[in-house]
Amino acid sequence: MKINQSLEVEPIIEEKVFSVSEFFDFLNEILVPQRVIVQGEIGEKMNNYPRYSFFNLLDKDGSILKCFVWREVIETLGIDIEPGMEIRVIGYPEIRKNRGELNFQVERIELLGEGILKRQFEILKKKLEALGYFSPEIKKPIPKFCENIGLITSRVGRGALKDFLTHLGNFGFRIFFYETKVEGGFALNEILEAINWFNQNMPKLDVLVLTRGGGDWESLRPFNSEEIVKAISASKIPIITGIGHEDDTTLADLVADLRTSTPTDAAKILNKNWELAKVNIPKIEINLSTSLRKTFEIIKKKIIFYGSNLTVKVQKEIGLKQQGLKSLWKNLGLRFQNYFKEFEFLEKEFKKNYLKIKKLVKDQKIKIKEFLEDLIKNKNQWQGKINKILKQQEEKLFLCSPYLKLKQGYTITKDESGKIIKDPTRLKISQEILTKFYKGQIVSKIKKIEK
Amino acid sequence: MPEEKFNFTKAYKEIEEINEWFQGEDIDLDEALKKYEKGMELIAKCKERLKEAENKFEEIKKKYSIGE
Repeated sequence: MKINQSLEVEPIIEEKVFSVSEFFDFLNEILVPQRVIVQGEIGEKMNNYPRYSFFNLLDKDGSILKCFVWREVIETLGIDIEPGMEIRVIGYPEIRKNRGELNFQVERIELLGEGILKRQFEILKKKLEALGYFSPEIKKPIPKFCENIGLITSRVGRGALKDFLTHLGNFGFRIFFYETKVEGGFALNEILEAINWFNQNMPKLDVLVLTRGGGDWESLRPFNSEEIVKAISASKIPIITGIGHEDDTTLADLVADLRTSTPTDAAKILNKNWELAKVNIPKIEINLSTSLRKTFEIIKKKIIFYGSNLTVKVQKEIGLKQQGLKSLWKNLGLRFQNYFKEFEFLEKEFKKNYLKIKKLVKDQKIKIKEFLEDLIKNKNQWQGKINKILKQQEEKLFLCSPYLKLKQGYTITKDESGKIIKDPTRLKISQEILTKFYKGQIVSKIKKIEK
Repeated sequence: MPEEKFNFTKAYKEIEEINEWFQGEDIDLDEALKKYEKGMELIAKCKERLKEAENKFEEIKKKYSIGE
């Protein structure tokens, strides 16, 4: 895009006759592609409509520029424009055919004066903050080792480009430089274009670096606009800012994925991990070898330890088993011995008893035999003796019989229970007693007892 | 943009991980050998990458403008 370059109107060769409309078209063809910045004071008469406004931009000598602006252009300012305000308008001139007057189509407005710019900054900051543009969660991570860098800055000015490039270490960076203005009325559009261009054409870049030297409030204006905040936020490629000196925090810094204070600082941050890697990699290399050696040693030690441990364990186990066996043997031997002893004892006892019994049986047999022999031998003799004894006994018995006594006149007296009474003192008066005679019996009552 | 086959960031991360792994306890010998080999290979590549260190500078705007 050719920007702000001087007009080169070709001389009219032919004597062309225009209609009014054609003439305005001819003029507009020249006027409309122009992008210009005009500064002036807003006039008293302002016509505000919901979607757009008309106002006049006045000069000290009374010159008037009629301006048309869409409402959204004013809204991005954060502050409403008012009569008496000194502003810059960026846009293009156009002739309105039905009115025959020149109209300035305002694409952007810039406020002037540090006071109002600071106010604008605070208002926009609050607004964009509330919309979440500055929250850390939406920041894109910067790759640890950036290799492909899109650089957006000015070639001229305070040496941001030089500062950045000189401080960038030789780590094989590939820098793709997109030159833009970084201050003035056209800077913002160029920067927005650059961000967009990189996202469209080189989406695989590791990072975009948006940088410029320090400046006052007015010169930092493009970095304090709502448009740049939205563009940085929308970029798919992470963006590092390095704007101005340390005390200048712009809205672009607040929305950036990483904020550095200066172009030099931005370069240093990109160097940092490479520098660390250059130092760390040889360290890690040594470390790995040491670690591997250590691992070998540990494993060697472990093998030896396990080996000896195993032998000790096995020996212990064998010892235990042997001991177990020994005690088992001993136990068994003892038991057997006991059994044998018991058995021997039993055997002896048995033998002893057996002999005794045998003798007893033998003796008994002899006795029985003798007895039997004797019995047979003396049978007749025994019979006679027995018969005689029996007869004697019979006689004795007969003589002792109570009946014989009864026959001789004795009586037997019994009490009611049939007991023979030998002592009358045990009896009672009037008790009935039974007296047996040789022939018959009587029952009588006791009248008197005498001792 | 030319495609870089070797990804330094990935390689470096892997080297760091291997290094960290070696600091752990109960290291398996087979695994240790494998990791050591891989680590050394990546280290060699990273060193090579750090050697060829000249920065390349290319201007976009000019190229872009020529096309207009």
